[in-house]
Amino acid sequence: MDIKQRDQGSIAILDLNGRLDLSSGTMLKEHIKKLFEKNVTSIHLNLSGVDFINSSGLGSLVSIMKETRLAKGRFTLSNLANYVQEIFEITQLSHIFEIYTTEEEALASYQSVPAN
Amino acid sequence: MENTVVNIEELLTLLQSPDFYEREEAVKQLNLSDSDEAVAGLVIALEDPDLGIRELAADCLTRKKGDTVAQLLIRFLGSEDIGSRNLASEILVKIGRDAVPSLIEYLNDDDHDIRKFITDILGLIGDEKAVEPVCQRLWDENANVVCSAAEALGEIGSTAAVPHLLAAYDKIEEVRLQAVEALGKIGDPSVLNKLYEILKTDDPIIRYAGLEAIGEVGRADSIEHLVPFLGNEDRLIAEVAMMAVIKISRKTGGKVSYDLPLNNFTDFLFDGIRNRDRDITEFTLSRLRHWFGREVIQGLLNVIDYVDENDLLRITEILGEAGHQAGKLIVEKLKTASSSTKLKLLDVIRQFIDEELAEDILDLASDPDQEVRQKTAHVLGVSGNPRAIPVLKALARDPIGHVRSAAYSAMGWLCSYDEADFIFEGLDDKYPDVREAALGALIIVGGPRVVQKFYEDLDHMDIERQRLAVTALGWIGEEEVVLPLLKAINHSDPGIRRSAITSLSKIGHVPDLHPFVLALHDENTSVRKAAVSALLSLNGEAAVEEVTFLLDDEDVWVRFHTINAIGELGISRLAELIIPFLEDDLDIIKLAAVKAIAHLGSREALPVLDRLRKEKNQDLAKAAEMALSTMGGKQ
Repeated sequence: MDIKQRDQGSIAILDLNGRLDLSSGTMLKEHIKKLFEKNVTSIHLNLSGVDFINSSGLGSLVSIMKETRLAKGRFTLSNLANYVQEIFEITQLSHIFEIYTTEEEALASYQSVPAN
Repeated sequence: MENTVVNIEELLTLLQSPDFYEREEAVKQLNLSDSDEAVAGLVIALEDPDLGIRELAADCLTRKKGDTVAQLLIRFLGSEDIGSRNLASEILVKIGRDAVPSLIEYLNDDDHDIRKFITDILGLIGDEKAVEPVCQRLWDENANVVCSAAEALGEIGSTAAVPHLLAAYDKIEEVRLQAVEALGKIGDPSVLNKLYEILKTDDPIIRYAGLEAIGEVGRADSIEHLVPFLGNEDRLIAEVAMMAVIKISRKTGGKVSYDLPLNNFTDFLFDGIRNRDRDITEFTLSRLRHWFGREVIQGLLNVIDYVDENDLLRITEILGEAGHQAGKLIVEKLKTASSSTKLKLLDVIRQFIDEELAEDILDLASDPDQEVRQKTAHVLGVSGNPRAIPVLKALARDPIGHVRSAAYSAMGWLCSYDEADFIFEGLDDKYPDVREAALGALIIVGGPRVVQKFYEDLDHMDIERQRLAVTALGWIGEEEVVLPLLKAINHSDPGIRRSAITSLSKIGHVPDLHPFVLALHDENTSVRKAAVSALLSLNGEAAVEEVTFLLDDEDVWVRFHTINAIGELGISRLAELIIPFLEDDLDIIKLAAVKAIAHLGSREALPVLDRLRKEKNQDLAKAAEMALSTMGGKQ
């Protein structure tokens, strides 16, 4: 999986491309861990390029969400492909993640609800 | 005419009847006449011993309006009977502007009570025609009339009264309070300097009125004159000054940029919210983003049951933003809150719940309210605290299905791998939402143990469990599910075979494609279709040779699907396989072929496509047109 980072103010926007599974999930966690070390705790994932996600990929996202909470930050997702959207519904993870239809909507939410 | 006179006389006599119905009928009949005598009769009925008849007469008089009515009613204003006097006043106010000329005419009546009542009525009617006559009453010999005049001028609200009120303030001590109040109600900014001066008075009542009046005028530049009073040792004065600031804030659309000592007014502001004062509520909530602290959070928690849905949303957002700072206080509030408040607060706490706070809400898992238990399960799931698992396991045994469902979902969110066997039990629940929650949890948990259990479930005695197993394995999507899914391609249930094939094509990395090739010959059409898509997706062009025989499948939809799937590869060399189908007997097959050719691109197909765009079947004609357009672009 390919991870590209763009920054908008204090928010790190990560564009993910490819499959989100055990190895790419680990890579993503490492990437975000480095962001935390730099005190970047507002993280947005644009998942438009992710067409497959499995159990390990979901576990990585849950783990990142927990770490972000511990860091009193915010973790948002947007642009979920149908397959990804479906697995979020089946696992009811859509209830616990902040999911936005578009990246613009997600970033706008940071204006009104800053990180904890 | 004579008959009418006789009738009116009779009706007037009937008004004295001991019989209620006769008197009531007389009032109704008198109402039908516009004569002065009839009006007089209705006025007489205002003193009827029965309230119903008095109200009926009052209603008739209100509709009649006119000078005679007003003049007759004015006479009642001098009545000894308070009830009659008040009723006459009420009717005159309801008559409104039509009564104003008569009222002004009697404004100089010898009876000071009548002058006072008329002044009051003119104030309530609020017609500017009365301003000048009422201003003259500011100089009445009777102090009550003078005070009423000042009040009435405030009610009318005309700036024409301002100089008179200022003069009265300076010259008549008894009218000062009412004059200042009236100046506030009129709201003319030209009086502000006078009002600032009034604030220097030693009389606390007048200062109080001055502060209120400044608030009523509502100019942002007045704030600097109010700020010194916010620290006044007289609490009432300080609160009136704060209220004036709040009114100015409302009137200026919140444009109050002063750094106000809000901490000194916490009780005042939150009492205002509790008493549903709109101005105070709006002001307080709009300040919260810049005004935090333990007392503020406590205040918000105390008023949460007193606000409407809109304000509740704002409060929960603010509490959410306060995050941990609010957490412990919310937990305290949860111990004594009503069920509805608990639900609201759990929504708030969920935004920032962590392992530590989760410990503090574990007790809510035994709340008597099922919705509270359900929400608690969700919040515990979000918390990431593994110590919540025993509590969630208890909730998974709850008598209420929704609670069990929430508990299973939460266990999944906690990724409690060690509890996989327990979560599996949820798949046997009698309610589908609980089974689905358990399934979702197991998908998140994943891992070899879960995969093994689902693999075994492919041979479960219950076909529904077999179907759940193949679905779950597909969503788990790890490498270890590939072999169980390959096995499932040979399952006796066609739905399971199809599901296994579709899942494997998504997962990829399939070591052996032979089961897919065999599935191309499956007796079930949906399995054959899934196998075509899967093979082409997994093996690309190399699989085309194996699937081409399905272009001649006995089932039209398998043929349709195979054409589509080959088209999606987008390899122009494959167009030769599809071109013959542009001239198929069935329009649906022609349509699939046209769309596939559009993907693949082919010069050889152009003449046929050109012919097809003239087809009677509009869908086909449009598709051909579009294909030509797309291919024109490509070539």
